[in-house]
Amino acid sequence: MESSLHQVWESAVGNSFVPTVGKGSQFFLGFSLLTIGFLLTGLFGLNRSLVNVPIIGIPASAAFAFGAVYMICAVGVYV
Amino acid sequence: MRPLAIATAVLSFASAVVCVEKGNLTKPLTSKLILPSTFKPAQNFKNTNLVHIINLEKNYPKESINVVIENVASTPQDEYFIPFTSQQMATIGGLEVKDRKDSESPLFEVDAVDDTQFYRIHLPAPLAPKAQQTLGISFYYLSALNPLPAHIAQADKQFLVYTFSAYCQSAYDTLKQKTEVKLPTTTVPEYTIVPGTKGSPESPQKQGSKFTYGSYGEVPAGAVEPVKVRYEFTKPLIHVSELERDIEVSHWGGNIAFEERYIMTNRAANLSKQFSRVEWASQTYYNPPSTAVRELRFPLRVGSLEPYFTDVIGNVSTSRFRSNRREANLEIKPRYPVFGGWNYPFRVGWNADLKKYLRKLSGGEGYVLNVPFLEGPKQPEGIEYEHIELRVILPEGAENVQYSTTVPLVSVSTSLHRTFMDTTGRTALTLTAINIVDDLRDRELIVTYDYPLLAGFRKPLVIFVTFLSLFAAAWGIGSLDVKIKSKRS
Repeated sequence: MESSLHQVWESAVGNSFVPTVGKGSQFFLGFSLLTIGFLLTGLFGLNRSLVNVPIIGIPASAAFAFGAVYMICAVGVYV
Repeated sequence: MRPLAIATAVLSFASAVVCVEKGNLTKPLTSKLILPSTFKPAQNFKNTNLVHIINLEKNYPKESINVVIENVASTPQDEYFIPFTSQQMATIGGLEVKDRKDSESPLFEVDAVDDTQFYRIHLPAPLAPKAQQTLGISFYYLSALNPLPAHIAQADKQFLVYTFSAYCQSAYDTLKQKTEVKLPTTTVPEYTIVPGTKGSPESPQKQGSKFTYGSYGEVPAGAVEPVKVRYEFTKPLIHVSELERDIEVSHWGGNIAFEERYIMTNRAANLSKQFSRVEWASQTYYNPPSTAVRELRFPLRVGSLEPYFTDVIGNVSTSRFRSNRREANLEIKPRYPVFGGWNYPFRVGWNADLKKYLRKLSGGEGYVLNVPFLEGPKQPEGIEYEHIELRVILPEGAENVQYSTTVPLVSVSTSLHRTFMDTTGRTALTLTAINIVDDLRDRELIVTYDYPLLAGFRKPLVIFVTFLSLFAAAWGIGSLDVKIKSKRS
């Protein structure tokens, strides 16, 4: 007795979903990225110029963005 | 006085209306066609041979009818009806029909006919005149076993009563039939004796814990012969009036989170005296059969992690989780032994790695998720669920959601569920089922969905844009000249 999508499940065998970052390294990655983000923000604070908005702001924002997502996963809120 | 009387009458009418609406909720909602209430199925079939088996070994009656049907009409027929009473219609669950001669055959399509108390079976191919087919029909009733006496002492034995018909209910004439009752014990203090008629001996015939009514000769359509058995069953009658089960999929975390919220009642005989803690504690060493729920065992899938068990007060510490490479058993003890008539609402939850439940479809952005529909406790005495609401919360931005399961459902809807770090909300698929028992425990639910790459990056993208605008704002505000100085002429 099988449901109608059972064949779809069987056809995808050997194609298990693997996350980009495993559960074990989420905290390390999240913490490192957030630290980089905070350091770059400090650096930006020393010299707030228009050139520094893309040069420091973009990497800092990206570090915050991915760092926050991985950190909230690492503490058990799987978003 | 008169306004008061009018107000009372209006109130009672209103409450009656509310009750009727509430009552309607328990009716199967799967009907496709409304027939007049005077509907009678045409006499197109004859039951050549019928065996009705009533299994009372668990705390809900499971009935199966194996019947050889013959088309007695002159044209091919593909609709076979089974009649039920309105009470049975409200408590029946999991009605399934298959071809007894072909174990590989898929389940037949079955629907409830509204307004009249019939289930309609659609035969996969019309049955030619004079041709025969063997059907295996199985179903169960919830809240159908009642303790008698209804109040017993803490250590007393419990006896249950079940009323059924010695003639199997059928909308067609039956040439030959018998009803077998499988009881959990041989202690059956009372049962109805049906006197023998010409050619048939007195019923029931007893064989250990199995009682057989019949066999009977030709019986007309709709005939009933009510009989009753009262038997020992000193076990809890676990009834879950509401189960909310959430399954949350996280692609970023590689995790699948399960949470189940139960409102559990024990339908066993109530205590005739006040509960005695001393008597309970002194008995615990001997572990005698009891009508109280002491422990619930959840055999979870191997690889389940981080379980929790809480109730309205908070964490309940009387739980054990045994997890290794072969098993993951969550054993919980309620805060108090749940005796007859007592309630215990609680919640359990656990996590698991997503890779065992989710597969990526080749080509495109499709994913297929395979989860058990029900993972409740596995008790030897059985568990019945009156209402189940299963929510599959997919990642934010998942679209084109499709599902399939062999569990009979009453309603399906898709909505948005908003929680941490969401902007628009996650796609949630809500499946509702009523009158389900733990026999259907390991039925799978398969959900397929598309999850575009951009939707996956929505969360970091939103945070990225927010922080970048903060940097820009810090530069913009910082470069404003707000110094207080004198105007130069």
